[in-house]
Amino acid sequence: MNLASVMDAISARLDTIAGLRCFAYPPGSVVPPAAVVGYPTTYGYDETYGRGVDRMSLPVVLVIGKVSDRSVRDQMAAYVSGSGTGSVKTVIEGGTYTAFDVVRVTGVELDTYTIGATDYLAAIFDLDILGKGA
Amino acid sequence: MMALIHSKNTIIKLGSVDLSTYVKSSEFARKADVHDVTTYGKADHVYSGGLGDGTFKMDGVYDSTATTGPRAAIEPLIGTEVVLTRQPEGTGSGKAQDVVDIIVTGYTESSPVADYVTWSMDAQLSDAVNSTAQSV
Repeated sequence: MNLASVMDAISARLDTIAGLRCFAYPPGSVVPPAAVVGYPTTYGYDETYGRGVDRMSLPVVLVIGKVSDRSVRDQMAAYVSGSGTGSVKTVIEGGTYTAFDVVRVTGVELDTYTIGATDYLAAIFDLDILGKGA
Repeated sequence: MMALIHSKNTIIKLGSVDLSTYVKSSEFARKADVHDVTTYGKADHVYSGGLGDGTFKMDGVYDSTATTGPRAAIEPLIGTEVVLTRQPEGTGSGKAQDVVDIIVTGYTESSPVADYVTWSMDAQLSDAVNSTAQSV
């Protein structure tokens, strides 16, 4: 797997969700609603013999809007849902990829990010990705 | 000079199919029968070595690759004989190698809900093991 290609592929797939600005790497600043593909939290080599399979955990961070807005809650509900056109899990796992073999969105944590003086609601999705080692 | 060997370079072939890149773990176990030849007058058991025997098992990550993936390569072999080639140090002249006929006794696919599909295979060694080092 090539890390840059994997991050590009995930970002491109997220870009099919209407209304999201997607970044294939952490940008200097974001304007919500935005999705940012982060760098792997773990990158494991040699899942099988002969450089057959590598495995990585990749975070995707969605920053939606002000945490105090009710409409933001409803938007977030669609993104974290396990199904539907806005579901990050459904959209990512439903993609066809050449940069890796398979991806599973294993979970999501909600958090608050402060940008400037504003608290934004954010969701951090964990992606488990397997692909060719060589 | 002795050196530690990492398992990641292990090569496993069934017949001409190299399954290495689908294998996470393998175990090549050799043993022998032991016969009790104790006679009258002995205070302790006396044993004698018998016929050699052994088993082989491996497991790994399921891959749908049409002709060389584990399902396509192993499942049709259940109950049949095939040549196992095992190179625990990888490929290279002078490196260790075991070549032996095996009977594939089982193939299992596991599908845990929170992880990827995996597979495992069990086999019985048959006849002598050729452990001549590689001459590549």
